[in-house]
Amino acid sequence: MSHLSGKYAIVGVGETDYSRGSGRSTRALGVQALRKAMLDAGLDRHGIDGMLSYHGGDSTDSTAIASDLGIRLNFYMDCSGGGSSTEALIGIAIGVIEAGMCRTVAIFRAMNGFTGVRIGGTGVRAAASVGGGALFTRLYGQSSAAQTFAPSFMRHMYEYGTTSEQVAHVKVAHSKHAAANPKALMKTPVTIDDVLNSRWITKPLHLLDCCLETDNATAIIVTSMERARDLRHTPARILGVAGRVSKPRVDYHWVHGPITRVAGYYAKDIVFGMAGIGPEEVDITGSYDAFTFTTMLQLEEYGFCPKGEGGAYVSSGIIELGGKRPNNTSGGHLCEGYTHGMSMVIENVRQLRGQADDYCPGWAEGRHSYDYRPGGCRQVRNPTITMNLGWANPATGSALILTNT
Amino acid sequence: MTTQTEPARPAPVPDEVSAPYFEGARDGKLMLMRCLACGAWRFPARDRCDRCWSTETEWAQASGEGTLFSFVLMHQVYHPAFAREVPYNVAVVELAEGIRLTTNIVDCPNEAIHIGMPVQAVFEPVSDTVALPKFRPARG
Ligand SMILES: [Zn+2]
Repeated sequence: MSHLSGKYAIVGVGETDYSRGSGRSTRALGVQALRKAMLDAGLDRHGIDGMLSYHGGDSTDSTAIASDLGIRLNFYMDCSGGGSSTEALIGIAIGVIEAGMCRTVAIFRAMNGFTGVRIGGTGVRAAASVGGGALFTRLYGQSSAAQTFAPSFMRHMYEYGTTSEQVAHVKVAHSKHAAANPKALMKTPVTIDDVLNSRWITKPLHLLDCCLETDNATAIIVTSMERARDLRHTPARILGVAGRVSKPRVDYHWVHGPITRVAGYYAKDIVFGMAGIGPEEVDITGSYDAFTFTTMLQLEEYGFCPKGEGGAYVSSGIIELGGKRPNNTSGGHLCEGYTHGMSMVIENVRQLRGQADDYCPGWAEGRHSYDYRPGGCRQVRNPTITMNLGWANPATGSALILTNT
Repeated sequence: MTTQTEPARPAPVPDEVSAPYFEGARDGKLMLMRCLACGAWRFPARDRCDRCWSTETEWAQASGEGTLFSFVLMHQVYHPAFAREVPYNVAVVELAEGIRLTTNIVDCPNEAIHIGMPVQAVFEPVSDTVALPKFRPARG
């Protein structure tokens, strides 16, 4: 166990609505999400002195967000990246606070992922001439995330007998969870047949195997346990973190080694080693669901089941509310909305507080029915350890282990 | 039939490192970089060996034989120039030399494409100076 395990915590979380038409700038969205996270923590504008964000050329920088909230910063950095960034930036926040550079760090992601720059979009990415690395991909019609990730799933089906039906259970489970999440974009539970009968996007991926492009901003606040004890909520203590751990080739992940292996192969020893626990001690997982199969690949790579048995694991009921280890209890990127990973960390923080914002009238006071029917409760009973499995692509991943004890 | 409004397929603009790959394809040869210091094949083209860091390199003709390692079938239109081709395949082929590359499988219906199938390089002209290596099912 690392000497920094448990010394830092997430003390505030907040987000905007998830929509497909925010009608607002990423600057306005970012300011709103961060303000909510600060109010949640019980911090005023003097309570934050560090800021981190990530973007894909589609957002607003920390300097603007901080200025709009009257925050003077002792440290800030805006870095390029999407999925896997949240956990990585949490590790950086610990580092800069530990170094004495600042005391409390806000991390945000603001994106108009539906009405602005779309990950699955066409126009802005459809250059007429192709050079550099794209010479070996785009000339063959390969450009989207679905196209570059899905060969790993296809190969997994070939090597291990995994099926489309098995991974469809991920969407089914997450849709049940979203049905108890007033914030979720897609609140209607779906069936296995709904997934399998939805149109092909990139075979082996159906439309309902893919996440929901969304307009939103999300924010979390990290500080030391000494400061956390004076704030509003039970701190979500950071037991372990691993950031953007990578396979040997990230640029063309499919050219090297087993492509059914994902970055968790390398990240798991770092994050579990720092936390001093193993997968069996985790009560809730938040495995990045850009697609149904990405959740499956990560859960098996981090050791929640043996390698190759991810299909059986995700279709066993274990990952549903009421199961042994629910995954993405908010509905995740497949159903709540696509936020490049931060929403899943926010959800786990709320779960550890006992304050999942479901349809139980007393959720804010931690009173829940634990009736997991649609339109009901999504709070897990007395969770003590949660884990996030962040994903940028098959070759890069991050992880985070939190506790409320 | 091609209309004037139809968007053009993306045209390759090879650089000084990758030009021999596309020029070789124009001449009907699958050309790959090989490190003169340690003998490692490398792909995609780049100017330094990632194993031994040597820049001493030759372009050598590969056998063109390979096996389909994985693939997907594109139904969604991303690049507008591919709109008339959906569903089309994007394949990862593992060459006999151990290199894997992105390509398309041709002369084979999408339904017949399967992982493990033996394939052979063919070359599709794109312009006077450039051709693209693609792969068809290997014949007995
Ligand atoms: Zn070499």
